Amino acid sequence: MLASMYIYLPIAEISMHIGIIIGLGGGVGFLSGLFGVGGGFLMTPLLIFFGIPPAVAVATEANQIVASSVSGVLAHMRRGNVDFKMGGILLLGGVIGSSLGVVLFTTLREMGQIDLVIKLSYVVFLGIIGFLMLLESVRTILRTRRPGSRKTKLHQHNWLHGLPLKMRFRRSKLYISALLPLAIGAFVGVLAAIMGVGGGFIMVPAMIYLLGMPTSVVVGTSLFQIIFVTANVTFLQSVQTQTVDFMLAGLLLFGAVIGAQFGTRASALLRGEQLRGLLALMVMAVCIKLGFDLALRPDDLFSVELLK
Amino acid sequence: MIRARHFMLSFILLLGMTSLAAANSSHLVADLSKSNIAITSGFHGTDLLLFGAVDGAVGDDILVVISGPPTNIAQRRKANRAGIWINVETNIWQKAPSLYTILATSPIDKIANPETLASLAIGTNNIGLEIAAETPVAGQSKPTANEFIAALQANMASIDLWPDQTGNVTLTENALFRAEVKLPANILSGAYNVRVMQFRNGVAISEDITNLYIKKGGLSAGIYNFAHNYSALYGIFAILFAVAAGWLAAVVFRRT
Repeated sequence: MLASMYIYLPIAEISMHIGIIIGLGGGVGFLSGLFGVGGGFLMTPLLIFFGIPPAVAVATEANQIVASSVSGVLAHMRRGNVDFKMGGILLLGGVIGSSLGVVLFTTLREMGQIDLVIKLSYVVFLGIIGFLMLLESVRTILRTRRPGSRKTKLHQHNWLHGLPLKMRFRRSKLYISALLPLAIGAFVGVLAAIMGVGGGFIMVPAMIYLLGMPTSVVVGTSLFQIIFVTANVTFLQSVQTQTVDFMLAGLLLFGAVIGAQFGTRASALLRGEQLRGLLALMVMAVCIKLGFDLALRPDDLFSVELLK
Repeated sequence: MIRARHFMLSFILLLGMTSLAAANSSHLVADLSKSNIAITSGFHGTDLLLFGAVDGAVGDDILVVISGPPTNIAQRRKANRAGIWINVETNIWQKAPSLYTILATSPIDKIANPETLASLAIGTNNIGLEIAAETPVAGQSKPTANEFIAALQANMASIDLWPDQTGNVTLTENALFRAEVKLPANILSGAYNVRVMQFRNGVAISEDITNLYIKKGGLSAGIYNFAHNYSALYGIFAILFAVAAGWLAAVVFRRT
């Protein structure tokens, strides 16, 4: 009976305990429900840690994020918290960026440097985002303890908003150049393809601080465009590298759906800035772990990969 | 069947086993409990039984070499560059056995001397591993070829594909032998070569070769073939599945 709890993943071509896969899905699903994030930045490194080849981990996680974003965006759509026009421009950039990202990924993989680039991207971007989030939540916590503090302005106009091709985004109450969301979408798309994430953790701050979108529409719009970017990655990886493991994605999803329900319920027990602070710590922890992996001398300087 | 195998055995012996002792009066016949193994969804490695009969004498040894379908192996070496450890060198070992296992009645260095083992191509030191392509880094001292081979052997052993001599062969009444063969979960599909040799006084005196076929089967094969033969359709299917699953989850868990 115990032996039959192992499942052979047809694309990853390894045998893994089914409990580990569903447990990973459930654990990351719980955290993503708790913090309202996609969880790709946790899942992809964990899958690699558990022996899934990095190419399979990244492509399969893209497939799983399609599902979690669809399920997340529906709630936001019902509340009207999706700016489809802004989402459309972002996803146009995202599709271009993620297509480039898949090509870059394939090239780096052939060069044997994909592990390095994945880890470096994680260290750099999680490091920056985690640090900023930590700063922000510490500030908020301090401010709430000091009454009488003033609220900052929603957003400031800078030269970025003055670029040509101006467009009106009614839902976001913005009149800005379409080039800006296009570029942000493309940049996050490249990262999504390489890191095996949806990219919400970069997209959301970029929408708030660079575009100046109101926070109410940020998450829904981000999820909306993530669906298309990760679907694009899933499709291109399927065609180019055949690394999307449908069985792995399905099992992760099963765990994640259940975990997310508990996470969402648990999130009601904590205050917003506490949640953000905890999330920041978790992001920093992943960043530091991967940073040490790169900086410490590995036990074995040699590694092998069977080329089929 | 037995006759046919004997005929084949004689044929092989006549044809090419020049390194075997000239006076070859002994016979050896080996078979496997399963010769076709399917990698299905529940696959987690497999055990099988190798058994056979030999015209043996006191002190004879039986040695079994199982080698998996040849594959190219990329070996990478890390070095510290600007504070981080990165792959600086890649060797491609061409057509190396994807699995290499030795089973025997005694430790192999007690069965025959190194020269004999080398002439019979027994052991990963003796299978003609050559570095076929390399990308050296200018101005860096690099390990010797032997260090690369040793590292390759160690890495392959750590993922159970080139284990050190595993398990034992039991020889009963100098006539019947058997061995439990354990194959790991990460084996490649393809044709496996099982070579069984009889040694007397350090000399191989008879040999039989049998094959083992491993291929993907069931749902696992279905998904793999779908992904490789209709990859665009597979991609679309994976996306549609994810969309449907996400939608279903949202509906089921919609809070009222």
